[in-house]
Amino acid sequence: MSLKDVISPFYAWKKTLDKPYTIKNPIAEREGAERYRGFHTNDVEKCIGCGTCEEICQNEAIDMVPVQGADPQRGDSGLRPKIDYGRCCWCALCVDVCPTGSLGMSNEYKWVTPDAEEYGFIPGVDIKPWNGAEKGYKRSDEAWLLRPGLKNMPVVEPEERRQTFDEMALGYNDNLALLEANRCLECGICVEACPTHMDIPQYIKAIRENRLEDGLQILYDTNPFSESCGRICTAHCQDACAMAHNGDAIGIRWLKRYITDNTWQRRDDILHGDNRITEREKSVAIIGGGPSGLSAAYYLRQQGYTVTVYEKHDKAGGMLRYGIPEYRLPKAVLDREIETITRIGVQLKTGVAIGGDISFEQLRRENDAVYIAVGAQKGTAMPIEGMETPGVYIGVDFLDRIAAGERPDIGSRVLVVGGGNTAMDVCRSSVRLGAAEVSVLYRRTEKEMPANAEEIEEAREEGVRFDFLVSPVRISRLETGLRVECRRMKLGEPDASGRRRPVPLEGSEFTLDVDSCIMAIGQKVDSSMAHGTDVHITRWGTFEVDAETLQTNVPGVFAGGDCESGPDDAIKAIADGKKAAWFIAKYLQAEHN
Amino acid sequence: MKSGASSAITVPTEAHSDRTDRLSPWNPFWARETELDLDSGRYVKIWQGPQHPGVTGNMALEVTLEGDVVRDCKTHIGYLHRGFEKLMERRKWIQCFPIVCRICVPEPDTNEYLFAAGVEELSGVEIPVKAAWLRALVLEMIRVASMTMGLGGQAGAYGLGIVGQWAVVHRDYMLDLFEELTGGRVYHMYILPGGVRQDLPEGFSGRMEKVLRMFENLIVDIEKVMFDNAVFKARTKGSGVLPREWVEPFGVTGTTARAAGVPLDVRKDNPYLIYDQLDFEKIVGGESDIYERAFLRKEEILMSIRLIRQILKRMPGEGPVRRKLPNVLHWQVQAGETYVRAESGRGEMGYYMVSDGGEYPRRVHVRGASYTHAMALLEQMARGQSIADIAGLMVSLQTCPPEIER
Amino acid sequence: MDLILNELENRFGVTNRDERRNDLSFATVGRQTAVEVITWLRDYAGFRHLVMISAVDYPERDSIQLTYLLHNHQTRKDIGLRVVLDRREKTMDSIHHLWAGAQVYQRELREMFGIDFPGSPGVDKPMILEGWREMPPMLKEFDTKKYSEETYFPRPGRFTMEPQTVMENKLYPIETEVKNEIRSIVRDNRSNGGA
Repeated sequence: MSLKDVISPFYAWKKTLDKPYTIKNPIAEREGAERYRGFHTNDVEKCIGCGTCEEICQNEAIDMVPVQGADPQRGDSGLRPKIDYGRCCWCALCVDVCPTGSLGMSNEYKWVTPDAEEYGFIPGVDIKPWNGAEKGYKRSDEAWLLRPGLKNMPVVEPEERRQTFDEMALGYNDNLALLEANRCLECGICVEACPTHMDIPQYIKAIRENRLEDGLQILYDTNPFSESCGRICTAHCQDACAMAHNGDAIGIRWLKRYITDNTWQRRDDILHGDNRITEREKSVAIIGGGPSGLSAAYYLRQQGYTVTVYEKHDKAGGMLRYGIPEYRLPKAVLDREIETITRIGVQLKTGVAIGGDISFEQLRRENDAVYIAVGAQKGTAMPIEGMETPGVYIGVDFLDRIAAGERPDIGSRVLVVGGGNTAMDVCRSSVRLGAAEVSVLYRRTEKEMPANAEEIEEAREEGVRFDFLVSPVRISRLETGLRVECRRMKLGEPDASGRRRPVPLEGSEFTLDVDSCIMAIGQKVDSSMAHGTDVHITRWGTFEVDAETLQTNVPGVFAGGDCESGPDDAIKAIADGKKAAWFIAKYLQAEHN
Repeated sequence: MKSGASSAITVPTEAHSDRTDRLSPWNPFWARETELDLDSGRYVKIWQGPQHPGVTGNMALEVTLEGDVVRDCKTHIGYLHRGFEKLMERRKWIQCFPIVCRICVPEPDTNEYLFAAGVEELSGVEIPVKAAWLRALVLEMIRVASMTMGLGGQAGAYGLGIVGQWAVVHRDYMLDLFEELTGGRVYHMYILPGGVRQDLPEGFSGRMEKVLRMFENLIVDIEKVMFDNAVFKARTKGSGVLPREWVEPFGVTGTTARAAGVPLDVRKDNPYLIYDQLDFEKIVGGESDIYERAFLRKEEILMSIRLIRQILKRMPGEGPVRRKLPNVLHWQVQAGETYVRAESGRGEMGYYMVSDGGEYPRRVHVRGASYTHAMALLEQMARGQSIADIAGLMVSLQTCPPEIER
Repeated sequence: MDLILNELENRFGVTNRDERRNDLSFATVGRQTAVEVITWLRDYAGFRHLVMISAVDYPERDSIQLTYLLHNHQTRKDIGLRVVLDRREKTMDSIHHLWAGAQVYQRELREMFGIDFPGSPGVDKPMILEGWREMPPMLKEFDTKKYSEETYFPRPGRFTMEPQTVMENKLYPIETEVKNEIRSIVRDNRSNGGA
């Protein structure tokens, strides 16, 4: 051993003169780094209680519990995550997966308490010094474990589709359906938003696991019009979807369509191949062969009753056939759906009007219960001068004629008045009838339009022009067409419905010269068939029912769908039909005993 | 007992020549139980461990001594068994990655990388280029930190506690950098299937350079205090010699093999990530004693520091660091099996992963580098050593009990 | 790599070749010929490094698959040999005479899976688990959650709720009842039919 080896270690003594490495006061002086994964924070307002954090936590440290101050409501389950810090490993998987981005972490790392139970805490609800901390690990877009983008439905191009009434949406193929179904979190918040509470997470799971027959059975448990709804439903479920907060909602409607598209050929086999219904003695009459009436018929028949549906038109389907154009819902699809319903033993009598061919009283006598589902099919006319001028049409009548096969000649300049889905159907049908210039007048702005945003967008793509804050005042006949005098509006105070009412601007009149004008401003219920009976009708013409059982004031007479609530969407009518079927059955069983 | 001017404290000649002529593969000496008459009153049994300052981690050595010399040694493990492999079979693929890093405490990132690489290979996910660079950066950073701590432990085993203190402090500075980059100090959970979690924060390179300089100064200090140290040299040179012929039967890899003259380095032999684009060499020795192994580790720290500088300079500037996976709640990985390997501080670390096409792994088997080092090799190498040297021998083999029993 | 696999197929009749990467391939070898194949690979083909011996449990196929991974330092390639064992008769020949490290792997497999390697030194000594009296824990039948709930005491006071159920109870209890009853009637009709 050399001398160097003996002397060299003494070099360490120079460290006595150096500054020590330790921090004198670490608790106060050293805070966690900006990205530090410290204790959890939760924005209780943003959180929707979907439970995805609970599902992904790898150590089962999270429970979903009800809390004060958060009640269940549309799109929010009212539960909030409670994290057991004895099990949490601070991996931030829960933060990375949160669909709303409400769950985050602060950079706090010190928590001393003598009570161990405190460590099972509810972030955001329990008051803690790090609530609302800015620093700490928060989910970034890149780190987000979910995919926000919707797989778009392939559609026919606008240029091509404005010339034909053929169906516009082409349907998902297997690949797109699987990718879209994989985005679902299975949280179940959508089920509440659906009026008929379809088991949405379950049928999406059936798509993922390639069990389409099971999926079809799940669909028909709650909705016998699944194939139509797969094309035209207003999809409240998608509005409530957890992914919609920071991305696109799951394409639930298109996934429903995928199931029915791939199973309709074997549908009767899958659903009712081995069906055996326990027959019962009683009979029920249903007035109206629309979605509400036929749904009630399907579920009443499944419960064993003899069911007869009376429909005044030549074909059943109601507004689904006569109010929705072919390019959104092909009649062939509707026909085969109605056939699935009638084939389990539902009697369908078309071309029979109650109140005309058969009286309401006679129906009541001959059956043990009656369900009224006549819908709201009368179009409202605008209370202005010139409504009877030739060339002025009412929206629903116009669509009715097109659905029956007619192609009315409306010329090349068409004006449509209204802002709902009917107005959109009318203007897009006008385009397909060959009108070169189609404009839509609406008295409020686009934000207040009740039509689906998709419908408005597709109408724009097809060349429809929109004029907002305009209302017609008078229509007069010219030699070459119609002269419509219009007035501009501005938005004033909110009215009873909560929307700001339009106020006419003085001196803003102008005229438009068009070939036809179609009014699509609303629909009314035609309750004339019940005139002279003891069924109560409200002053708006709708039937008055008990909110829970859908029974009118007359025992054994029930009403539901548009004729009970006023014009609404198809899925609500279907929900009413199903509910009425159940309560009619209970009424009949109670009567039996 | 012999003691030489430059040799270790004690290597009884009888035991050593005993070993060399047993190296024939037809005569596996490691298969025979040593026959000792424990009732004769010549032997004393000691348990070194599991809680012992001279043990790396929690592992027990049941040592049979005759006087001061070890005649028989049995390794007992199981104090750190958490059953990770079975746990992973109950968790979805994405839920496994927070567990994986806990398999090895000083070097968790290698585990994270291997798990992510295995899953990506089975499922066909490709990571962005910048993510590969960031992964290599993190792996090199943790190599520096873990090997520094290893050097500290090595010195501590011989009573040179000051180096241990310095090493732990500097590791702490590196952990500060990790905290800034990944959000965690010891378990980073930064590398996951698809890429890495986030990009570098602002000013990271500057702070890294400062820390690297601190490490370089530390190495200079360590060279003076530990490697040019008469006591350390006297105790470690010639001690704990691993004959080159033992490398193959015991599956020795990493620095231990390189010190014996067998040039094995996974980063060069089976390059992964972006190591084929980096400029470095294998560091090979020949003496294969404890001093040589510690010396090679010190050289490797310096080389890793150079690699970190290279990576930071050559990393692409902008770019995504993460590829989006399919919805992780229902992610099903294609059926298949694979083996991925990486170079950890101790040697070759590998993951054997089997998927059956479902949402849960079928089998994940972690091959720790110290698996055979600590069990089979240590038992043989300890024979003939003095009891005072066992701790140093164990640290020089860099045995890491958590990765032995997962 | 192909050459070696071809040789193995011709000489020893290995099956199910599977090229994973260009430096990793798997092949299935019969239980009787496995040690011969491994010896041949070690002595003639240069696969001198035993990487690991692992096992995968396939209860649905009534078998356990042993995997021997070997590595060739010169060509830097890996080969994985699969040996399928009958689940009821879990024994295999030991290879501790080829590599010293093999005894450690074999000891662990005996403890974790119950696979016996007669002759391997210390194979029946417990390695990781001390005083373990239950079945070998890595087998698929062993339910760790059940074991932990029975042996240890989970912390009381934890409960969790489903979002959908909570919304059903609070927001639409009547409609939920209607839906569930109708669903059960429709499903009963379907399953009663054909009876």
